[in-house]
Amino acid sequence: MIRAENVTKIFGPAPQEALRLLRDGTSKDAIREATGHVVGVDDVSFSLKPGEFFCIMGLSGSGKSTLLRCLNRLIPMTGGRVVIDTEQGEVDVGEAGSKALRDLRTQHLSMVFQRFGLLPHRSVRDNVAYGLEIQGVPRKQRLERAERALEMVGLGGWGPSRTSELSGGMQQRVGLARALATEAQVMLMDEPFSALDPLIKMQMQEEMIKLQHDLGKTIVFITHDLDEALRLGDRIAIMEDGKVVQLGTPEKIIIEPKTAYVADFVEHADPTNVISAGTVSVELAHERVDVLRREGGNRVLAHRTQSEVEIVVDDDDHVREVRADGKRVELVPIDTLLAEEPPVARYRDRAAVVRAERTLRTLLEARNLVNLPVLVIDDQERLIGLVTEREIIFSIIEKRGRDALQEAAA
Amino acid sequence: MNALLTDALFDPIRIPLDQWFANFINWLTLNYRPTFQAMKVPIEVILANVDAFLQWLPPLAFIVIIGLIAYRVAGWRIAVFTMAAFTVIGMIGLWGLTMTTLSMVLASVLVCVILGVPLGILAARSDRFRGALRPVLDVMQTTPAFVYLVPVVMLFSIGTVAGVIATIIFALPPLIRLTDLGLRQVPADVIEAAEAFGSSEREILVKVRLPLALPTVMAGINQTIMLALSMVVIAALIGAGGLGRPVVEGLNALRIGLAGIGGVAIVLLAIVLDRLTQALGEERSSNGA
Repeated sequence: MIRAENVTKIFGPAPQEALRLLRDGTSKDAIREATGHVVGVDDVSFSLKPGEFFCIMGLSGSGKSTLLRCLNRLIPMTGGRVVIDTEQGEVDVGEAGSKALRDLRTQHLSMVFQRFGLLPHRSVRDNVAYGLEIQGVPRKQRLERAERALEMVGLGGWGPSRTSELSGGMQQRVGLARALATEAQVMLMDEPFSALDPLIKMQMQEEMIKLQHDLGKTIVFITHDLDEALRLGDRIAIMEDGKVVQLGTPEKIIIEPKTAYVADFVEHADPTNVISAGTVSVELAHERVDVLRREGGNRVLAHRTQSEVEIVVDDDDHVREVRADGKRVELVPIDTLLAEEPPVARYRDRAAVVRAERTLRTLLEARNLVNLPVLVIDDQERLIGLVTEREIIFSIIEKRGRDALQEAAA
Repeated sequence: MNALLTDALFDPIRIPLDQWFANFINWLTLNYRPTFQAMKVPIEVILANVDAFLQWLPPLAFIVIIGLIAYRVAGWRIAVFTMAAFTVIGMIGLWGLTMTTLSMVLASVLVCVILGVPLGILAARSDRFRGALRPVLDVMQTTPAFVYLVPVVMLFSIGTVAGVIATIIFALPPLIRLTDLGLRQVPADVIEAAEAFGSSEREILVKVRLPLALPTVMAGINQTIMLALSMVVIAALIGAGGLGRPVVEGLNALRIGLAGIGGVAIVLLAIVLDRLTQALGEERSSNGA
């Protein structure tokens, strides 16, 4: 959908010369001292699939906003290429003529800004319709589409208001609606929620996830908040000093930070939404899972720290039965437990079953509802591991998964 | 040599700038007077039409119309004040002269807007143009009004049109400056957003910059009107009509009463025009903020 190849941006009067120096291996500091040029984005490449939610995370000055602006050429890049897939074929953003660039911006790439960038002299509706107005969509039609976009962001009926009458969160919804109204497939979002109160921010993030789910946009989302990136991103690129220092799934970034810089961020991040049950669970083959005995064709297993709980699995690792203190207990999917209102605290009568891809957060929420090991299953319903309190706490403190746990235990 | 200009110390090295200046204006007058006379034509047409209309309009109709306009833009208090002010002007016998002054102000402000807003736009677009324009505007703004009058008379002869031209030169700078300022003050993030949605430069100017600069431009128009009003009175010295005439005549003949009522009418007109244009600017900006 979007392909960035070796994108580089250098600020200064003669960037091409500085680019040559940079490609020859001169350091950024040396270039700045010798020529006064500042390297904003240094050789960044990535490729996004349609419908992917891609977060670019970094501190201010790391080049993330510059990189985003290279994607729609609000800032022209010095070197490299950005290619966008459209229905009319691939468009090379850097090479596009003024007409092609205009088409790209009006129809294929929309953008949401940190400081909203709304037009204060226009009504909410006319702000949302701005992109369509530039496209030349007739007034009646564009106001209809604007109203639809406003409904999508929960501002149905606010069309005639002035933007100044709206709170920050609502103004950013208008910004979001403006981007949605053009029906561009790609949305570029430049720290859209950074200026909002924490509570509103959470709410907007949730709605963003839902919108993305419903509309399947390809999103490039800039943030300086790792927790936000972890919540939203399918993949995250972490930038430092103009370079992408790590690119991967949220879980990979939490569990295996590649540089000290990333590790530093990860240390302060909340891992519970990212690390999966599968990752924290103790595998059946691990030494802390004992095979107590065999019953017919089935194995009877127990977690070493909770040997009074016996789990009976067959040869295909399907769970047959769970016993606590010799008494058979019911197997309940974790969502059923969480949905009980009020929670039924019958600790030892039930054992929770959770799919491997569910997060640590789910396990934490279920902690008070069950005190037996949680059974982690894969998509074939086979038991792949067990989770007790020990694993959960270890993962939160160490922000690391099973492998590290095994090392620590060994 | 003029007695005003002697000083024993500097006499040996005195520069005859007054001569040069006189020579330059004489040369302009000799060679280009027809050109300058031709420049009067459009101003003459605008002025004649505005004046004819205001003189034709029955005072009562004018008072009602301006009252309604004032009510619309500035609320009922100022509407009442406006209507009262014009009634007083009529009652002290200065209706006709006031209408002439008003038409001179309107004509010169109209020309100022036609010249000033585009020049302001150019200044906002180009730092070089702005740099070149700046000293010119400084000179226009700081040169005492009386200094304009002599060359204006030589090039444009005397009368109301010449008075309007002097007024335009005097009242134009703040409009250019404030248009430039207003356009430059438009937040960069708003412009960037418009750009990101594919706006051309022209669209950004028309749909973003100008509407957002409007309150500042309106403040410029307000300033221009005030300056125009003060200059229009001075222009009576070169034979321009309107409220300057009773003032100048009162001054020359020591007719204090005549000068006094001329002053009263000017002040009333100034307050009305100021309140109306200020309200216009505030209305836009409060809608816009």
